[in-house]
Amino acid sequence: MFEPLRPIPPGRRTALGVLFFVLFIAAWAGATFGGLVKPLFLADPLKTLNAGISLFAEFGFLGDVAMTIWRVVGGFAIAAVVAVPLGIAMGAFKPVEAFFEPFISFARYLPASAFIPLLILWAGIGEAQKLALIFIGSFFQIVLMVAVTVGATRMDLVEAAYTLGADRTGIVRRVILPGAAPAIAETLRLVLGWAWTYVIVAELIGASSGIGHMIMDSQRLLDTGQMIFGIFVIGVIGLISDFLFKSLNERLFPWNFGR
Amino acid sequence: MSRLRVEEVARTFPGVRGGPPTVALQPTDIEVADNDFITILGPSGCGKSTLLRIVAGLDRPSSGRVVLDGKPVTGPGRDRGMVFQSYTLFPWLSVADNIAFGPRERGVPKPEQDALVARYVERVGLKGFEHHYPKMLSGGMQQRTALARALANDPAILLLDEPFGALDNQTRALMQELLLGIWEADRKTVLFVTHDIEEAIFMANRVAVMSARPGRIKTDLRIDLPHPRHYTIKTTPEFAAYKARLTDEIREESIRAAAMVP
Ligand SMILES: Nc1ncnc2c1ncn2[C@@H]1O[C@H](COP(=O)(O)OP(=O)(O)OP(=O)(O)O)[C@@H](O)[C@H]1O
Ligand SMILES: [Mg+2]
Repeated sequence: MFEPLRPIPPGRRTALGVLFFVLFIAAWAGATFGGLVKPLFLADPLKTLNAGISLFAEFGFLGDVAMTIWRVVGGFAIAAVVAVPLGIAMGAFKPVEAFFEPFISFARYLPASAFIPLLILWAGIGEAQKLALIFIGSFFQIVLMVAVTVGATRMDLVEAAYTLGADRTGIVRRVILPGAAPAIAETLRLVLGWAWTYVIVAELIGASSGIGHMIMDSQRLLDTGQMIFGIFVIGVIGLISDFLFKSLNERLFPWNFGR
Repeated sequence: MSRLRVEEVARTFPGVRGGPPTVALQPTDIEVADNDFITILGPSGCGKSTLLRIVAGLDRPSSGRVVLDGKPVTGPGRDRGMVFQSYTLFPWLSVADNIAFGPRERGVPKPEQDALVARYVERVGLKGFEHHYPKMLSGGMQQRTALARALANDPAILLLDEPFGALDNQTRALMQELLLGIWEADRKTVLFVTHDIEEAIFMANRVAVMSARPGRIKTDLRIDLPHPRHYTIKTTPEFAAYKARLTDEIREESIRAAAMVP
């Protein structure tokens, strides 16, 4: 059963994945209904569910969710559109890499959240500030990861392409890009996950809508049910987007999957 | 008529971490005539791949030059097709698209590409596998695809670097016959690197024996066996005589190679 690296049937895989959720909720229910923690600190599952229903039914939470998704996708898309080509250029052409790499490595360690006060000063608390934060948080990561991926292109394939008559453009377009594409898609999937943490941070601090804003509001009312529900929704959206990304990758790069 | 001339080509690799430089190839000369099938035979590490890579334009000689059809080689190009020692099919392309890579790159119209693919898939016996990805193929099938990919690009000279080295004996023998059949039909000019004596004799009209590292061509032996050749030729006395002679030469070099291991 525990043979290293041995795959398991898809049905059992799903069952095991669901089992953990069940155990997790059971432990949560046990702790709250059993009175181990005070309701003030942790709402029980039922109360959380009720809070969620009323959020959607009475407080227009769907609008908040849509707003947050829009911000993440928007900021992330802007970052990706600039970062992926730059990363490819850096990975493929060493002078470009030498020019940008030191600065980007430096910028990558600047904590995005620390920019919030500055961004508020520059862009107010409107949408631009939130997009900018997500951009800062994602851009440098994508550039570096894409550059590393592209730089690791198999040299033997490049040489094979040269002996088949490919020119430099051909090498980039028909060897480097297709070879790096799956790993670039994987990078985007990972960084999109991080972009979610930035959007919530941005919304916690200065926003009048969004999931983060709702969580902040609920804290004022000490409504742990709503807070937990908000966090839970973020998790669910992440799970869905991850799943979509993965199945898109498998469809786009069939040669990379299965044996 | 001489097609390819290797003139005094030598290659020294710089030392690793302050170590002494490695002389991989001493000044080497070879002349390859049109329709030649030359095998380069030598012990491991004697610089066979280095020589072939220089001819392909993938590596630069430290001195000397390579001349193809009167023009000095300055870099890789489609006139010198290569099949590598390792598997180098493009993993994201199907067998058919791998074979069509060269023609597509030089803008051959799609219908002609398809015709080329059909022809070479047939040639190397991969019918029915056109839409498989390299991952789904055995090693032998991958090397056959690589051979088809090189041939479909119609190079002036075909460079083969131990293409069957990783295959089992039976598959290897089949591949030798396949390649020889293609050569007998098309009369391509071929430079084939190997360390297998039988393989070298079976396919070649000339065997160039390399000395142990630092390598150079120490013997250039004509193989006067009739064509078309059948695998049964390997049991004839003529074949055995060539084999005995080359075994001696190689043994000498292998002993020298083993003695000078750093
Ligand atoms: N890029 C390199 N840098 C340094 N030394 C190298 C490099 N490539 C090859 N060499 C050295 O050159 C020598 C010849 O290598 P080469 O790959 O040409 O041998 P070979 O005859 O093809 O051997 P094999 O039959 O094992 O493939 C070896 O001693 C190797 O260490
Ligand atoms: Mg070699």
